[in-house]
Amino acid sequence: MLLSCIKNENRKLHHSVIWLACVFIPIIPAVMGTGNYQMNLEILHDGWYSLWTQFSLFYSLFFFPPMIGLYAAYLWRLEHFNHNWNTLMTMPVPEIDICLSKLFVLCKVAVITQIWMMILFFLCGKYIGLPGGIPIDMIFWSLRGTLAAFAIGSCQLFLSMVIRSFAIPIGIALGGGIVGMLLTAMNSSYGFFWPYALMFMGMNANKSANVLSGTMAAYLISNVFFFVLFLGIVLFILKKKDCK
Amino acid sequence: MNTIIRTKGLCKSYHQKAAVKDLDLTVEQGSIYGFLGPNGAGKSTTMKMLLGLAKPSAGAIQIFGKTMNAKNRISILGNTGSLIESPSYYGHLTGEENLKLLASMKQVPEAQVEEVLSVVHLNGAKDKKATYYSFGMKQRLGLAGALLGNPSLLLLDEPTNGLDPAGIQEMRSLICTLPQRFGMTVLVSSHLLSEIDQMATHVGILDQGELLFQDSLSALHESSRPNLRIHTTNDKKASLIFKQMGFAPSYENQSLVLDSLSDARLFEVGKQLYAQEIGILRIAEDEASLEDIFLKLTGRSLS
Repeated sequence: MLLSCIKNENRKLHHSVIWLACVFIPIIPAVMGTGNYQMNLEILHDGWYSLWTQFSLFYSLFFFPPMIGLYAAYLWRLEHFNHNWNTLMTMPVPEIDICLSKLFVLCKVAVITQIWMMILFFLCGKYIGLPGGIPIDMIFWSLRGTLAAFAIGSCQLFLSMVIRSFAIPIGIALGGGIVGMLLTAMNSSYGFFWPYALMFMGMNANKSANVLSGTMAAYLISNVFFFVLFLGIVLFILKKKDCK
Repeated sequence: MNTIIRTKGLCKSYHQKAAVKDLDLTVEQGSIYGFLGPNGAGKSTTMKMLLGLAKPSAGAIQIFGKTMNAKNRISILGNTGSLIESPSYYGHLTGEENLKLLASMKQVPEAQVEEVLSVVHLNGAKDKKATYYSFGMKQRLGLAGALLGNPSLLLLDEPTNGLDPAGIQEMRSLICTLPQRFGMTVLVSSHLLSEIDQMATHVGILDQGELLFQDSLSALHESSRPNLRIHTTNDKKASLIFKQMGFAPSYENQSLVLDSLSDARLFEVGKQLYAQEIGILRIAEDEASLEDIFLKLTGRSLS
């Protein structure tokens, strides 16, 4: 049943605007990051690593969490509109399959966004004449960041399910990222308690040395914790609350 | 006859205000149960509880002999079709794509999509995005979705709301055919008395969350006791004769109105009039409308 639900969620994305967002929005931080790198060449001497500091800063702080928020908002908006909740919840399908299928599709789009971001990173690096390919560190960091995308995705899925507005949860994601940055600036370990901070910790945003050396386990536990926590809340609400 | 839906003491309150009070609903197999009541009477809330969309504050629901709970929810829903509130659809998908989604959730072969499309006469528009459908088409698409999988039970909440007169007629005749054609039991709600009168075999009248009446449609009409209108060659004299016989006739619209009376009593009336050489020109039973019945049950008329 879960497979049919996932198939259905995928079908709902046919002719959908979510793909436009997925393709065009990452271009903005790519241009901003690369532009910033070009303007500060006198202090940035580290090639791909320096470009990553600029690229990942804009992307993982200001763009990726709101994008996940946008994907989640879109997925639930489909149900919020035209009384689709009534139909969805009267299907002979376990509630857990409904939330898992939404979350699966959300994670899928997030992974596609990450891959596209890495392609853009490579293209930008080549465009400004950096030698060779992307260092393996950055591939690893982007994979780590993808885990955080899943945790944030779970949280945004919860927010957009209970908040019918499209924009408010996206705003929360943007604010969440900024609050996360402030928290980690105060104390780097605070970030483990705030899902939005995990994103740029994982992505090693604005850093060229690994910020998670020695704390990788805490990072993983924190991601799994938030992922399961919000998924659990979503499931609880679907099971116990009245359909509005 | 099997009971398809049975509720016992079903209650639902929102913010300490009771929306449905102590409801004992009984819907028999193969019937079209008209769920009648003014807007806000609790019809939608009751239907949502039957489908598990709203959780009852108290009481129990049995559908197909199984208690509606987390354990039985899926098996009950698997055999139930529903159309609740306004029609639901994904606007960016075509009518056919919408139905295919539902078919896969209901684990029904996709070939059935064509069948239900033709039942609701939407084949011609199946490739059009649902957002461009007229309201009536959306409503029919909703019904098609409810029919997928040939469910034993169909719950339709105000299915003719917002339709034009032709659409209403079409929807009504479609609903009327469902029990014979597909062996379905239908629970259909409406705030329109005439509509229930035309479709239903059984009636439940709900007002302010309480069930005021529940029986077959004919029982409802019987209980409403039609008046008898008689117009004679000499109504004045006839009126005196009726009074002597113990009736209390009134005079309205050029005819005498009597409370309903048995065949034997009517025969007496005829004989007496004949004896006094009064001819009967017209005799008719005033069918009480459901409006009158509702007035009698609630002491107030429908808005």
